[in-house]
Amino acid sequence: MTAEPTAPERFIRGILPENPTYRQLLGLCPTLAVTNNMKSALTMAGAVLFVLFCANVMVSLIRNLLKPHLRIVAFTLVIAAFVTIVDRLLAAYMYTMSKNLGPYIPLIIVNCIIIGRCEICASKESVLKAASDAIGQSIGFGIGLSSIAFFREIIGTGMVFGTRVLPQIWPDWVIMILPPGAFFTFGLLLGSVNYMVNRKNTSIKNRDSMK
Amino acid sequence: MTYITDIFLIAISAALINNFVLYYFVGICPFIGVSRNVDIAFGMGFAVTFVMTIAGSISWAITTLVLVPGAPFTRFIAGFFLDPGQAVQIDLTTLSYIVYIFAIASSVQFVEMYIRKFFPSLYKSFGVFLPLITTNCAILFACLTIMSHVAGVENPADVWGLSKALALSFFGGVGFTIAIVIMAGIREELDFCDVPECLQGAAITLIVAGILAMAFMGFTGVDSGLRVALTGG
Amino acid sequence: MEMTDRLNKNFLVQGWLVILLCLVFGGSLTAVQLTLSPVIEANKKNEILQIIPGLISEENSTAINKEATLPFTVSPFYVNSEKQGRHLSYAVFEAKDKDGNISGWAARASGQGYADKIELLLGLNPEAEKITGLFILEQKETPGLGNKISEIKWRDQFKGKKTDKAISAIKGKAVNANEIDAITGATISSKSVCRIINQMVGDIRPPLKMKLEESVHEKK
Repeated sequence: MTAEPTAPERFIRGILPENPTYRQLLGLCPTLAVTNNMKSALTMAGAVLFVLFCANVMVSLIRNLLKPHLRIVAFTLVIAAFVTIVDRLLAAYMYTMSKNLGPYIPLIIVNCIIIGRCEICASKESVLKAASDAIGQSIGFGIGLSSIAFFREIIGTGMVFGTRVLPQIWPDWVIMILPPGAFFTFGLLLGSVNYMVNRKNTSIKNRDSMK
Repeated sequence: MTYITDIFLIAISAALINNFVLYYFVGICPFIGVSRNVDIAFGMGFAVTFVMTIAGSISWAITTLVLVPGAPFTRFIAGFFLDPGQAVQIDLTTLSYIVYIFAIASSVQFVEMYIRKFFPSLYKSFGVFLPLITTNCAILFACLTIMSHVAGVENPADVWGLSKALALSFFGGVGFTIAIVIMAGIREELDFCDVPECLQGAAITLIVAGILAMAFMGFTGVDSGLRVALTGG
Repeated sequence: MEMTDRLNKNFLVQGWLVILLCLVFGGSLTAVQLTLSPVIEANKKNEILQIIPGLISEENSTAINKEATLPFTVSPFYVNSEKQGRHLSYAVFEAKDKDGNISGWAARASGQGYADKIELLLGLNPEAEKITGLFILEQKETPGLGNKISEIKWRDQFKGKKTDKAISAIKGKAVNANEIDAITGATISSKSVCRIINQMVGDIRPPLKMKLEESVHEKK
């Protein structure tokens, strides 16, 4: 019986080994939609961090009061409320970004990452573990989003964060910031991650079998 | 006549031109997860369309009758406590996200009971997927689109009625079904191909989806041309 | 009897948490809405108000002038018209200078572009006979091609155009006074902008002229 992961372990796991985008394949809708530039991607990651952290902490606080068959209702209510708060905050203080992100902020409510973490971790563990899990997973999500956004923005427009980086000679591959580019970039990056993980696993297997 | 044109254009736009999966990126999780073979994909698409239509109409009804400022139901209830001038101003749209997600959850529950009673074999083959439709982004997205055309619209003539909301929900689901069935057909063929190991599974599905999205990009401008042709501007 | 008692108790015991959460969140969301909605409304208004000075006065460029102090007082109103059974409504902003004379108008219109809706703000001189500026508020045209309609260079072509004849986008070099160059590879987007402008100008010119006469009368 393996011991339950401790708080720091949960934090580290969320970043790369259990990365929500590349390893768990959760929360794909915003991953493809808001990654056409770095600024939107980071704002979305920040919003998810806020919602996931607050939802995890709150669910963890009330975990002993939850009845089994009403827990999904409770999770949904908590998540929807925090997403509404984040949406209003963005509309008030980052109005242009809120318009760019459009309907994808409310879609955080049905983001599988958040409901998944509430179900798997927050409803069973202490507040500290739930919080560190939330932060780890959000950082992983942020890494997933930024990696895709980086390639899409730089190849598609030659810019990063809105400032031109590539020389003018570069013909902007406009397809990269359109929907097909999202699919291609994510598919290829996912393939590369799988390749690296497989290689690591086979080398570990070879090393073990040679002992 | 222009009314029918409007509905026709909304339908075409939701199904093909601004396809929910390939243009707006909603409903990607089942798109990648369930598109293994055509029968299951078609069943999933059918279920999503059914749920989307019901959830879309419920959201439209609640938004129009309860949430927007000046909504009849809220005015009636508030009329007992406040004077009419204040009652008209009550704006409950902050609660819309919470209301929609519960409407969707109830619709899924209802559809599940219906399918379990009348199509038991279909119910068995769905397994765990049916409750998962609750977290399908596409349905919430349809509700949000309807909300954006009902609440906060400047010109009262542009507010969507029930028929437009229904057209969007139903044909959005149809578009989702089209995309997922095409993808399932392609994946069935891919099973016979020699896909490199690192790309197997989700990665190759995404790349194929990219090519599909490029193909659907060919529909851009069709509704614009149709609108100009049918209404003369 | 005992069973129904048990069932009832069960429901309340089970549901109390959800009901409590509903109340807590309902309250906090209302609080959030009350505090933030003025800020959000102000954001929405400022978006347009910041653009108007640049559109009206011909000296400023059509770029957004964020630091500019508004030399005009701007008041919005609606111009309505019926066409083929469709009820159209344009939001028009009236810019009055310190003395109360009308300095110009900014009218908002939207219509179908190539890919999706295009929303634009058109600046007109007080008599509504000359275009003083154009700003594209919202567009989803093809990046790199159609979305060049937002570029200052292309929009400046509309400055000074007369509103008596319809403006058309020409594929080559524009020759006549009522023609502008279409964007290479984005003819439909360019033509859509012209079509939206022409339709709106045709609908609002008479009402705006009347409003100008009224305000001149009022001053006398």
